This record gives sequence, structure tokens and C-alpha cells, in this order.
Amino acid sequence: MKELKHENIVRLYDVIHTENKLTLVFEYMDNDLKKYMDSRIVGNNPQGLELSLVKYFQWQLLEGAAFCHENKILHRDLKPQNLLINNKGQLKLGDFGLARAFGIPVNTYSSEVVTLWYRAPDVLMGSRTYSTSIDMWSCGCILAEMVTGKPLFPGTNDEEQLKLIFEIMGTPNESSWAGISTLPKYNPNFPQRLPKDIRTILQPHAKEPLDDNLIDLLHGLLQLNPDMRLSAKQALHHPWFAEYYQRPQ
Amino acid sequence: MSEYHKALKVLMQSPVTDDMIKFLTNQTLRVLPNVQTPAQTSAYPSPPSSPPKKHLQPQRLPSLMSFISRLVRHTNVYTSTLLTTVCYLNKLKCILPRDATGLPSTIHRIFLACLVLSAKFHNDSSPLNRHWAKYTDGLFSLEDLNLMERQLIQLLNWDLRVTNDDLILDLRFLLEPIVADIEKTSRQRKRIEKQKLLQQQRHRMIESAGTVRSLSNSSSTTKLYDHQRNVSICSDLSSSTLVDYDLNANTTPKPAANTKKACRNSWEALEHELNQVLMQHDTCSDTYNACNY
Repeated sequence: MKELKHENIVRLYDVIHTENKLTLVFEYMDNDLKKYMDSRIVGNNPQGLELSLVKYFQWQLLEGAAFCHENKILHRDLKPQNLLINNKGQLKLGDFGLARAFGIPVNTYSSEVVTLWYRAPDVLMGSRTYSTSIDMWSCGCILAEMVTGKPLFPGTNDEEQLKLIFEIMGTPNESSWAGISTLPKYNPNFPQRLPKDIRTILQPHAKEPLDDNLIDLLHGLLQLNPDMRLSAKQALHHPWFAEYYQRPQ
Repeated sequence: MSEYHKALKVLMQSPVTDDMIKFLTNQTLRVLPNVQTPAQTSAYPSPPSSPPKKHLQPQRLPSLMSFISRLVRHTNVYTSTLLTTVCYLNKLKCILPRDATGLPSTIHRIFLACLVLSAKFHNDSSPLNRHWAKYTDGLFSLEDLNLMERQLIQLLNWDLRVTNDDLILDLRFLLEPIVADIEKTSRQRKRIEKQKLLQQQRHRMIESAGTVRSLSNSSSTTKLYDHQRNVSICSDLSSSTLVDYDLNANTTPKPAANTKKACRNSWEALEHELNQVLMQHDTCSDTYNACNY
């Protein structure tokens, strides 16, 4: 991780290794995204963030994720608690405790990764051949959470987590996701649900009207089939971010 | 290069062999060429070394090869984890000064530390250091394991990344026979496919004379499938072979000019239809792209 130097990744300055203690020295950050969103709760009602801020945070999150993936690292635990922010509005990926190198035929993967609420459906069904798409699902969940202030899929166990996902995104089958039935925990008797309109779910809790581009990006990130999910690079080129990538350098 | 990538996948999925262990032993010995292990049997007889100090030699040191075999047997380590150690060994060789020396057991430590780091870095679950200590059959303690791991990771500056290209370079000795094998089978496959194709062509030529004639009589509703089949026939065949087969065929012989004409007519009709289909396809993919963005 020492070599992972990017402005959207929390910098590891040093590792101090003594007989029974390992100390990691990181860059200082003021806050994390979870605490920041909690601080904006009014009474008992979670508040979504302003869409301009959501966009700026999401852009930085995707920049950080893209850099990890370019450097053949999977983060595997993206969630608001692990996104550190400072008073300048910068956002950086932190907590690489579950991170792993990928891309060589050496690695073996566990499917017990990523905090439940942000875990992709393929991983929930026991996939061990996941790749960068595992992080992209988390990015989609985080985007929705920033918009509404509430976690999108707050399941309490693996089965309920899948149920919550299918309730909104629809239940996948072999025709929408070739190969799904080969996953270890695939169950042909999953309750059949039709996809719902994500805008009508998020809009009541959002601060501002949600535009089509934002909804389209969410759809791209929250594809049930990992092969259909946008990559970090593709997401950064999504029209929702046009104002960033068209900005004169 | 892609042949090497394929070979790498094959190698990593095959079980651990004696050749791999021999290879790793040699690679480990090359990291510290100046250390003479007592167990290293040389081809030439040499006088026994002076009696070792007692605290430096806690027990008889096994040869590096048997040390590695034992570890492999006891841990059931993945081939890939085992072979990746060679990348760390080679990195270490570059980092250490040329005249570096050590205790006789240093090469054992170096190999074990590389294996421990490889197992931890590339797998989500791997043995703990106290398990590794147990697998050494009392040669090293948990503290030894912790120390060698710490020292190695500091020497490597915490950079344990390994790429496919690193692996291909460092494992080329093991990969080359597999690559040769892949190339051989692909050559054989190509030859067989070529023969099959030739045979098919011959069959089609025999059929063709009849098909072309029936096509020239058929109505405009001929299916695209037939057309496609005939494109290949028309283009595969020079008019002379067509004539030959036409003459050889068991049907009433027709003048060659007629067959040629029929062929040209059907060819034109075909080209027209194909163009239309292609145009349709273009509009389809345009709308598809438009839908996507």
C-alpha cells in the first residue's frame, strides 16, 4: 500500500514493525463520510447531501477506485466509514485491511468480504472469481446513500441482503445473467421480483430533483450481473460527470 | 507472449512436481552463492568443516531440497503460491550485496520467509506463523518465523506485488516445455482443421454443380442461408473446376457457359440481398448505440 500514491487514497507514510506491535502511520484526515452524513441528521430524519457535493465526492471515490484497479488492487471494503474526508472537501479511500492484489493466476479469494450492506449480489451468492466489479457495486450503494442519507440495502444477514437487493433491482435469472445458476449459493426459488424504478425510491428522501444522468449512472453501477457493471474508468466518463472531464485543464 | 500466459495458467493449475522443487532449490541457492550448507553434497570430496559452535547449530540441518519437500507435503501449498516465491527470491538476490553470507540455515530461512509472504499475500486464508513453525519440525520457532518474515518484508520494502510478466520471466525454465507443447498441439490442430476444410470443400464442390443450377431456377424468395452457402461456393470455385465437376456430375451435361451465367446471376442477386441485410444491421447497431448513450 506504501506504493499506492494518489490524492484520493489515504497515504501510508510509514510502517513501524516491532516485536509485538505493528504501527501504520497514515496521513491525517478530519472525518469520515459516515460521521459527516450522521452530523447532518435533523431530528430523526437522515438528510441527503446536496447533489453538487454528492457529485464531487462520488467523482473522487471513483478516481480512487480507478487508481486501485489500475494498480491491480481490489479494495473490497468500500463504505462510507472507510471514505475519509477533510475540511477541504477532499475524499480519500482508507482502510485497506481487506484489500488484495489481483490479476495473476496465483490468488485465491474468499467470498466473506465487504461489509454486508455494500456486498455485491455475485459475492453474496458465493462467487470467488470476482474482480474489480466487486468495488463498483459498493460505489453504487454509496452513491445512493449520499443522495438519501440512508443506506440503500440495510440487510441483517446474507439472505435478507439478497432479498432487499432483488426487491429493488429485480430477481435475476439465467437469461438476464448467464451463468448465475452456477454460483454456489444460487437458489432457483428466490422470490421473484420485478425491478422497481429507483428514482421513485430515492426521490422522496433526496434534497433536490434527481436528473436522468444520475439515475443512469446508478443503474450502471448497480447492475446485478458483474460483467454488466460499469468499471471505475467507464463511470468517470459518464455524462453525469461531464462538467468535470470537460473542464479545461 | 500470449502462449506464455496460457502456459503460466497451465503451470499454476498443475500439481507440485519434483522438478518444481528442484528448480526452487536451485533458485534459492543462487540467492546466497557464498553460503555452503553442510548438507549440500558436492561431487568432489572435501574435508569436513571445523566443528560448528554449538549454539549456532541447534540440530542437524536437512538439505534445502528435503526441507522444501517437507514443507510442501505438510502444508499442501498451492502450486501458484509455491512458485511465486521465486519472484521474491530473485528480488532478494538483486537487493542483497554480492558478497552477502549467512549461517548454514540462512537459505532455509530465506526460502521459508518467501513462502510465508507469498502465502499471506496471495491467499485470503493462509497458515499462521505458529503453524509454519510446526511444519519445520522444530528447526525454527515461532519467534524465528516472526523475525524472518519481518526482515524479509523490510528488505523488500513492503512491496510484494508480482505481475504476470514477472512470473513469466522468473519461471521461464518451467514454462518453456509447456509453451513448446502448446505450440505443438496448436500446429497439429491447425493441420487437422486444414485437412477437414479441404475435405469439406471437395464435398461441397461435388454438391455445388447441382445447387447452382437449382438456384438459377428458384424464385426470388430464396433464403439467405442458401445464398450464403453459395457465396462460398462461387468464390471458392474457379470456373474451370466448376466445369470439371459439372461434367463429372451424374446429371445431364450442360454447356459450361450456362453454368457460369447461372452462377453470375445468382451472385448478383445475392450481393444485392447481402447489402440490404448489412444496411439493416448498421441501422440496428446505430439505434443500439443510441440507446446505450
